[in-house]
Amino acid sequence: MSMNRQGRFVLAMLAIVVLMLSACAAPTAGPAAPVAGETGSEAAMADKVLRVNLGTFPDMLDPQKSSFVNEIANLKMIYEGLTRQDGDLVTVPAAAESWAYNDDATQLTFTLRDGLMYSDGSPLNAERFAYSIRRNINPTTAGEYAAITDEIVGAPEWRACGEDAAACEAAMAQVMESVKATHADGAACTGYDDAECNTLTLTFSRPAPYFHVVMSLWVTFPAKEELITAAGENWWLDGANHIGNGPFVVDTLEQGVRALYTPNANYWGEVPQVTVDFAFVTDSAVAFEAYKNNEFDIIPLSAEDLEVVQADSVLSQEANIYPGSCTFAVMFHQLKEPFTDQKVREGFAHALDREGWVGDVLRGLGSPTLTWIPPGFPGYDAEENRWGYDPEAALQAIADSSYGSVENLPPITLTFSDTPRNRTRNEWLAAKFKEVLGIDVTLDPVESTTYTALTKDINTAPQVFILGWCADYPDQQNWLSVYWKTGAFGERIGYSNPELDALLVQADTELDPATRDQLYADAQRMLTDGAPVAFMWNNVNSYLVKPWVSGIVKTPQDSGWPGDIAPWTIDIDTAAQSQ
Amino acid sequence: MTTYLIRRIFWMVPVLLMVALITFTMMHQAPGGPWDRDPSRRQVDSSTQEALNKKFGLDKPLFINLEGGNPLDSQFFTYVGNAIQGDLGPSYRQRGRMVQDVLFEPPKGKAIWDSRFGYSMRLGLLALVMAALLGIPLGILAALKRNTFFDYSALFMSTIGISVPSFVLAIFLIILLAGRLNILKIIQRDWSNPAAWMVPAVVLGFGTFAYITRLTRNSMLEVMGQDYVRTARAKGLGGRVIITRHMLRNALIPVMTIMGPALAGLITGSFIIETMFGFPGSGREYVTAIGNRDYSMIMGTTLIYALLIVLANLTVDIMYGFLDPRIKVK
Repeated sequence: MSMNRQGRFVLAMLAIVVLMLSACAAPTAGPAAPVAGETGSEAAMADKVLRVNLGTFPDMLDPQKSSFVNEIANLKMIYEGLTRQDGDLVTVPAAAESWAYNDDATQLTFTLRDGLMYSDGSPLNAERFAYSIRRNINPTTAGEYAAITDEIVGAPEWRACGEDAAACEAAMAQVMESVKATHADGAACTGYDDAECNTLTLTFSRPAPYFHVVMSLWVTFPAKEELITAAGENWWLDGANHIGNGPFVVDTLEQGVRALYTPNANYWGEVPQVTVDFAFVTDSAVAFEAYKNNEFDIIPLSAEDLEVVQADSVLSQEANIYPGSCTFAVMFHQLKEPFTDQKVREGFAHALDREGWVGDVLRGLGSPTLTWIPPGFPGYDAEENRWGYDPEAALQAIADSSYGSVENLPPITLTFSDTPRNRTRNEWLAAKFKEVLGIDVTLDPVESTTYTALTKDINTAPQVFILGWCADYPDQQNWLSVYWKTGAFGERIGYSNPELDALLVQADTELDPATRDQLYADAQRMLTDGAPVAFMWNNVNSYLVKPWVSGIVKTPQDSGWPGDIAPWTIDIDTAAQSQ
Repeated sequence: MTTYLIRRIFWMVPVLLMVALITFTMMHQAPGGPWDRDPSRRQVDSSTQEALNKKFGLDKPLFINLEGGNPLDSQFFTYVGNAIQGDLGPSYRQRGRMVQDVLFEPPKGKAIWDSRFGYSMRLGLLALVMAALLGIPLGILAALKRNTFFDYSALFMSTIGISVPSFVLAIFLIILLAGRLNILKIIQRDWSNPAAWMVPAVVLGFGTFAYITRLTRNSMLEVMGQDYVRTARAKGLGGRVIITRHMLRNALIPVMTIMGPALAGLITGSFIIETMFGFPGSGREYVTAIGNRDYSMIMGTTLIYALLIVLANLTVDIMYGFLDPRIKVK
């Protein structure tokens, strides 16, 4: 080998070794510098640190654009709406100390608390909330939950104005009027520093006596306009831009790794006693090992670990399994044979062994149901007992149908999102239909995003499939009107009942709470009368919580971790934690 | 050599274009889109979907615009035109961020190697270094001590490395080192600590280590049987001199040539490790983007990975010319 070639060879080898060794260089000097939020002069790391596994790191933390549960869980740490829910899912004052509807509930007026401030001590007034609500409606924001405030005058028109500049101008002007911040005497606010600006009035296109519940949602959270404008569309990346009014302050927001929240000393209510440290481990087996190794205080309990937990004398005491916020049903496409016939739907509903499903398939992580609204939510009907498991009644219903017998039924195809877990579930379901009705159900697995696309359109929705609904907010309107009115989500399976529509309109606009509750109860029974779907099970929230953590307030509406509804009640026995 | 380099660089363009075309086509074959949500929850309403489609150019035709005007004003050609200028498009899920920022922009106040791609790159490099530093000597010794206990042990370990899935190894090490022996933490909250990287790198690189061990052993065995080695022995040269000056250089040629593709494979294949260890790399972003139908993220990450592999192969081809005098790159 010539000297030249040899020299080049050595140089090449050296280059490779240097490149490889550079991987071993310390990436930064000292510990990772957190992307810190403003901690403010008062906020400080509490000695007690609650370590929670939240699963997936949020892709986005913009209140008016976010929609995923993990995003909402983080936003609720930093911000707060005008109202919130208590441990019984009753809507109670939050940033607003009170609210009042006008006579026909087409107007809702909030009065903010005195001295309300952000975590950095700057004042928080009604103009801030007006900005946030308008930002949610603004078509340039294009928030994924923007439609949830469509009761506001001008909101749907502004969102749909498209390229028509004149229509956009007109609709925007309407929204500016219908989302109005003023002084208590009605005088206009002068800006974000106006301490007298404590009244927010919303005007609706139709009576909306439930809207104070909607105002607890994350889409109304008052992120600061100047921070958003200065930093641009990805303002949310930097923890320093998350100056909020919630119970916590962002200390660290490290993409993909960690979110650390310290108590907000400027929170109007009870200041939390613990710092909350979110980690983002998506693998449940690893999270479980970390929990057993005392590296987490709270983790979601997965179905795969349930048996181990229940068999363990210590872990079984730490399992927290309680009702969730979703109802799942076997959906029948009302425009596809044979489910155009109510008797057939009844027959299939009677063929569902819900107890067996919850016990065998869900391994106890669920509860059977025969009704739409789940336990713990306003409007839950504990007395509903129609269309329960009854093999004889199932066969009788088919016999009473236009088909006369199961032999005359057309082919039945059960479509599902193709995951190993769903395969097992749907195979069980098909086997149960075979056992009770004697019919062979064809299984049709499809990719998960494809499944979503299919199920949201009446033309592509499958003949039979499992689907659910999880509450946006704890009110019957969200369960019944938002889902089952003609043109709403129930339309995907061809469901439409003008009588139910009329009853729901009446309920939605009823101001008297007792009458409203009764109207919704009647509506739910009317819905169940027609057996449009076979209500099957409610999900549960399932977590492991270390015994040194106390004061957790659990609700079915928990977003990602137990206690998020009232984190200021949580306490930790640090002596036990550090052992 | 220069001509060869220029020619290979030019070839990268049609290769990457083809990768883009295939990825784009396959991506759009799957029904559903970036605005589809968990079917049990509220879906994005039609007005917002229209606004989002318009904002991200998803209302344009996929390939050719036949609606009048510029026929190349389509999603695909717009993407390609922007990608050539380094703009990999906006993420549909991480609103406000461009794909190149998601992958390459470090957090505020940190260096570029603290970006998502930087993390994956460093983990891949570390895994490769560990795999090479262990695998090469082990393979050499296994060949030199052929059919001994040492050789059988090396083969056993490499068989384990090739056949055991990385997620099984990962959970095994986690249980052993953290759960039983208590010598490390499972959850890393500070990736600036070098010790935190060890277990993920070992798990990631174990398969490559196994492959390098076997390849080195087989290559050494082949070289040991060559005439020039026999000649060197006959001439009276010592064993160490024969090994270091004559055998190693030739035996390591095939090993060196797989380093490039191996590194590319380690960087692009780290999703499982990132998921299990909560490692903030780009692999997780990639797989999540597929489920979310985040088209720009999928396209951008695929192109980056394809570029990595193309560059790795180019490096290998050039290196081969240096390492083996019989090879002339032209």
